[in-house]
Amino acid sequence: MKAKVAFFDFACCEGCQLQVANIGEALLDVLDKIDVVEFREVMSEKSGGDYDVAVIEGSITTKHAIERIKEIRSIAKVLITIGACASIGGVNGMKNNFELPEIKKYVYGEDEKYFDSVPTMAVDQVVKVDYYVHGCPMYVPEFVTVLKHALMGIPYKAPEKSVCTECKLNENECLFDRGLTCMGPVTRAGCNSWCINNGNICYGCRGMLDDPAKTGQIEILKKHDIPLEWVTNKFNMYNKAKDVKENENE
Amino acid sequence: MVRKISIDPITRLEGHGKIEIFLDDKGNVKQAYFQVPELRGFEVFSLGRAAEEMPRITPKICGVCPTAHHMAATKTLDNLYKVEPTETAKKIRELMYNAFMFEDHTLHFFFLGGPDFVVGPDAPAGERNILGVIDKVGLDIGKQVIGIRKKMRDIITTIGGRVIHPVCGLPGGVSKKITEEERLEMLQVGKDGVEFAQFALKIFDDIVLSNDEYVKLITGHIYQHNTYYMGMVDKDNRINFYDGDIRVVDPDGKEFAKFKPEDYRDHIAEHVEPWSYMKFPFLKKIGWKGFVDGKNSGVFRVAPIARLNVSDGMATPLAQKQYERMFKVLGKPTHHTLAYHWARLVEVLYAAERIVELASDKSITSDDIMNIPTNTPVEGVGIVEAPRGTLIHHYNTDKRGVLTQTNLIVATVNNAAAICMSVSKAAENLIKNGKVTDGILNMVEMAFRAYDPCLACATHSLPGQMPLIVTIRDNKGAPIEVLRRDR
Ligand code: SF4
Ligand code: SF4
Ligand code: SF4
Repeated sequence: MKAKVAFFDFACCEGCQLQVANIGEALLDVLDKIDVVEFREVMSEKSGGDYDVAVIEGSITTKHAIERIKEIRSIAKVLITIGACASIGGVNGMKNNFELPEIKKYVYGEDEKYFDSVPTMAVDQVVKVDYYVHGCPMYVPEFVTVLKHALMGIPYKAPEKSVCTECKLNENECLFDRGLTCMGPVTRAGCNSWCINNGNICYGCRGMLDDPAKTGQIEILKKHDIPLEWVTNKFNMYNKAKDVKENENE
Repeated sequence: MVRKISIDPITRLEGHGKIEIFLDDKGNVKQAYFQVPELRGFEVFSLGRAAEEMPRITPKICGVCPTAHHMAATKTLDNLYKVEPTETAKKIRELMYNAFMFEDHTLHFFFLGGPDFVVGPDAPAGERNILGVIDKVGLDIGKQVIGIRKKMRDIITTIGGRVIHPVCGLPGGVSKKITEEERLEMLQVGKDGVEFAQFALKIFDDIVLSNDEYVKLITGHIYQHNTYYMGMVDKDNRINFYDGDIRVVDPDGKEFAKFKPEDYRDHIAEHVEPWSYMKFPFLKKIGWKGFVDGKNSGVFRVAPIARLNVSDGMATPLAQKQYERMFKVLGKPTHHTLAYHWARLVEVLYAAERIVELASDKSITSDDIMNIPTNTPVEGVGIVEAPRGTLIHHYNTDKRGVLTQTNLIVATVNNAAAICMSVSKAAENLIKNGKVTDGILNMVEMAFRAYDPCLACATHSLPGQMPLIVTIRDNKGAPIEVLRRDR
């Protein structure tokens, strides 16, 4: 029997969903094993709650979203997050650099009271996540790998090594040698050093390594006299949501 | 009692794009408003961050047109650091940008707004999508649409690293050169694009223009507004998407203003309404006279018909012919909102021809892709023509390049006042004495889909119709009644 797969989106730019739409052939070989029952949702869960795999895009930013993601979790046998927004909080987390009432007032003005808003969270700050696809936008080959693992029921975790390891295999010139600051040394690998291959620095969209001091490429930072904190601080562009403590938004 | 109706399409970033219709005491339409609040959030987010991050941050405003924000942000950095990109870099950027315009416009025509026409405005909403288009024009053509869009996206990937959130733009240049082999591939795609665009225009001819009903719909009253128009032009006053001066024409089509991007503040002001968190741009020298059209109102429009209206012609030969034909039928300037669809196709042809021009130039493969910025930053403005119209980025920084002020005027916001007017006109016909007809969803949808507003990106999913939720609220914001169509 084919697995029923449903896609849901929360606060995000929908870029990851467009990545899925643009996949084409790579998806074809898994497509005959799945049925996509839900691609864009609004408020109602249209598939009538009948799906096995829930694929989640976007971060959790409202109380309503907290309720919805809990409901989805209660139905789905497997839950996959795609992209930085869902997996680590992503750019929406920058909101948490500001006081919530302040930003609400700036965005909504006097109507502020009608809008429900909570500090941005990654999906796993609210419910259990079984598989993560990282990146902003998500890296398509990783999505295909994760989907295959999920369908076979075997675990998958992105390697705990830095983007630098991939970057070196790709024989890129290290951007630190050109006087730039790159997040590669402390960012989780798995994108095949996408941005550096194209001449730009890594912004850490795949999230920080669980233990950058241990698994990171610290020697690169040392060589250029850059303190580890300096780089990890820059990380709040994608990682800020993770500062929210568990249950803070309950 | 003042009633407020909210049409609440999908949540994108936090904060909604939505439409609210205010009724007067008698239950008739007082005014409709269209809002895109999420951008304000990005303007706050960015404060205190390094300006150089903006080409990487702002594309995340919208996954459908990240290239427009990436390019506007990159050009703002050029201006902020007062560094002129190398000639090669400019060509590479413009080439990528035209591939983006091509693929985004064809997305709109075949998948989003166009199906209203191709399949027919009276067709059930569920058929007004790409599948309906394929049904009508044949599977082969459907495949061609998908094929050419993929090839255009490949150009973006080659230059920008990826289609969603490209990474090539740096102040003073681009991050990567293109090879001779890549140039030849792009040249071929450009040529295929020219052929495809002509063919798309022929579909428009066969299905839309040869049908009197459709022509009547386009040139009819409901969707007409006599406004000012704004768009970017090259030194000969011809359309350019990537760079140039901003030109404004009045409702008679006469030049009203022409200015450099840096001077936009002298020409564009933003009107604030007490009920809204969105600002409405208007022509400063005319002033804000409310949501009305005409020569005395500062309301202006942007995007395809605006660009064609402000230009004296197209910079490429085949597009020029189509430009002449369109204005022969509609008159210049054209005020017909639904003509956006037609103008969009003329622009698709131009984009493809421009790709051929740029890729034919062998010097585009030069290594000279970057001028290193050395000046101390203070303030920068960058403007591009996004598919949905003039897009303005404006940053102020301290001397380390840390953002102290950010202003983004996005294309859809430039059209916001006009969209409000179009929605009002459509709604007036459908809400009488407090009675709301279901048809309001369709009419409102047609009215603002023509503008291809960014929130209509909601329609990029099948079954191709806009999920709309209409909430009727009393003046305290409590919902009285909910109309919805989300499937
Ligand atoms: S992770 Fe990035 S590309 Fe994906 S939805 Fe979020 S902002 Fe968009
Ligand atoms: S720091 Fe960046 S450029 Fe240098 S090796 Fe690591 S990923 Fe590559
Ligand atoms: S190189 Fe860095 S920023 Fe780029 S995709 Fe990989 S993790 Fe993300």
